Amino acid sequence: MVAKDTKFKDALKVIENVQASGRKILFPDEAMDVIKSSGISTPAYTLVKTVHEASVETKSMGFPVVLKIVSPDVLHKSDVGGVVIGVENEKEVERNYAEIMNNLFKKVPDADIMGILVEKQMPKTTEVIVGGIRDEQFGPTVMFGLGGIFVELFKDVVFRIAPVTETEALEMIKEIKGYSVLNGYRGAERLDIQQLARTVVTISELISDIGEIKEVELNPLLVYTEGVTAIDARIIIK
Amino acid sequence: MTLEKFFNPKSVAVIGATEDPKNITSTIITNLIEMGFAGKLVPVNPHHDEVFGLKCYPSLIEIKEQIDLTVISIHSDYVPEVLEQQAGCGIRNAIIISGGFAELGGKGVELEERIKNICRDKDIRLIGPNCIGVLDNYSNFSTSFLPWTKVKRPEKGNLGILSQSGSYVVSMMDMLSLEGIGVSKVVSYGNRADVGESELIEYLTDDELTHVIGIYMESVDDGRRFINASSNCSRSKHIVALKAGRHDSGIEAAKSHTGAIAGRYEIYKAAFRKSGIVEVNGLEEFMDACKVLLMQKPAKGNKVLVLTNGGGFGVSVSDMCSDTGLDVAHTPASIREALSEKFPEYFILKNPIDMTGSSGDEDYGIAMKSALVDNDFFDAAIIIPLMPPPTMTEGVAGIISQMAKESGKPVVICMVSGIYTEKIKAKFEEKGLPVFPSPERCVKAMSVLVERGRMNGC
Repeated sequence: MVAKDTKFKDALKVIENVQASGRKILFPDEAMDVIKSSGISTPAYTLVKTVHEASVETKSMGFPVVLKIVSPDVLHKSDVGGVVIGVENEKEVERNYAEIMNNLFKKVPDADIMGILVEKQMPKTTEVIVGGIRDEQFGPTVMFGLGGIFVELFKDVVFRIAPVTETEALEMIKEIKGYSVLNGYRGAERLDIQQLARTVVTISELISDIGEIKEVELNPLLVYTEGVTAIDARIIIK
Repeated sequence: MTLEKFFNPKSVAVIGATEDPKNITSTIITNLIEMGFAGKLVPVNPHHDEVFGLKCYPSLIEIKEQIDLTVISIHSDYVPEVLEQQAGCGIRNAIIISGGFAELGGKGVELEERIKNICRDKDIRLIGPNCIGVLDNYSNFSTSFLPWTKVKRPEKGNLGILSQSGSYVVSMMDMLSLEGIGVSKVVSYGNRADVGESELIEYLTDDELTHVIGIYMESVDDGRRFINASSNCSRSKHIVALKAGRHDSGIEAAKSHTGAIAGRYEIYKAAFRKSGIVEVNGLEEFMDACKVLLMQKPAKGNKVLVLTNGGGFGVSVSDMCSDTGLDVAHTPASIREALSEKFPEYFILKNPIDMTGSSGDEDYGIAMKSALVDNDFFDAAIIIPLMPPPTMTEGVAGIISQMAKESGKPVVICMVSGIYTEKIKAKFEEKGLPVFPSPERCVKAMSVLVERGRMNGC
């Protein structure tokens, strides 16, 4: 692979490794590696392969944690009982680890299992989606919308041709119908729209710079009054 | 390479020429004769010696002089042969009107690939297939196969129209002639086997006679080239786009219409925005947006004065302004003071300014002088002169247009159509002020000027 002039060198390395393995979809931990190395904040996370490792790692990152199955044969982790949130202590880690494995064994008996992603659980807040899509006609684009039902039910999303500037990203954020949810609706505190805009810019640059990426999605990205955190990422490559 | 020869050919060979009125080729020729096309018209058909009094040649090979362009409307199966022949004769441009290509799928796709390959290998530029082709209103050249008696040829003007759809351009030409909107060039490129909207936008960017470009599109030829071409063009001209095939059913229909895949509508919206293109919804908005951009300049801001002698129209226009993001801001005190000295106290001076049914021509002049000419608070004005009161005469058109000119701000007129007001409408439009027949259309037209202003467009 030709060395490229990009500020996303570490992200590119992760993607090249996945390409070399012949896969098109990054594992959740790999996708998080790409996001983190691009300068977007993530919670502490690590991929573990044994219960023992899980105990050690969760103790050092602190509770509560989230456990997520990592398998090339599982696309929708929650549908097969592959995700547990609110794991509060070591005992629960052990019990839930076993349960996830058991669920997988029952529902997808032949699944290849890479391990379990343990992730520090973040406090609840407003969830948004930031995505990058390489369009067949127009090339790299960036998408923004509020998370959950706002996207699914109301299709309240906005697209731009990537890359975008911070000003354009702010315009995108203000353009969605649900903007007031971010901007301190009914006396709630205004969320960190500036940092959210910078994240939109980063994703737009990531998909513009790295031609190998077909789709990248932070879903959800948590938006706080100070800062944003990506707790799940999905990346598809060519 | 320039597309000039598609619009201003010195010599054109019409393949399959005939006088048979059921054959579209005969209308292509009679249209050209009727238009007074000044270039050389050369019919080609082995079955005739003469067509409409013009010497007809058995094939391109027998023609001695240089031909700039062929117009091909024969059965699709025979098209590759004609292209091979014209390549041999060094004819570099072709417009293929015939359908029967990629839009059919299967064999049609193969046939279109074949003609594409011939054109690429033999250096022939191509418009079509499956299209109406072109109208150049200044060189009096057209390949339309629809008689001008049924589709009125629009006047000469400054609107360029690009369209994947033939039926749309034909309807547009007819509507434009009725509206009195003048046209420079029209291109229907159908399946877009070679020349597409991006290259045409590049070409029209340098066409001095085209000031506004209206595009009907279902899909895009080359997304990035389109954005570059449009971004560059929209610095000096306006582009209005009507995107069809926005929903799944429409996207499917678009594919079987011209054989091109349309893609996600949201991304088209993003592309239009990036390119400085004004997107419109439907044929009526398309016409209105082109018209207002031809006649008025963009607004510097969104503060709009609404001035009328009919209260109800003032209210409904204000409502619609708010719906489209236009600000019907309160009339500033300085303007109110100036007007209260000149007007009776029952004139309502907050915005909308409602001069009631007892006002007349001169009052429009007084109000516009204070609120638009002498004061820069408002960026634009929507004027709604209701003509029925006896105090209102056709002289109001001159007064309003004079004030609009002095203010240097964009002004649009809302006037609900009637037999009498149609006459007044013509008076306004002669003087360069666009008239729209309903509050909805008038406000939408104004919002186009405000949107263009926001984009920093010319």
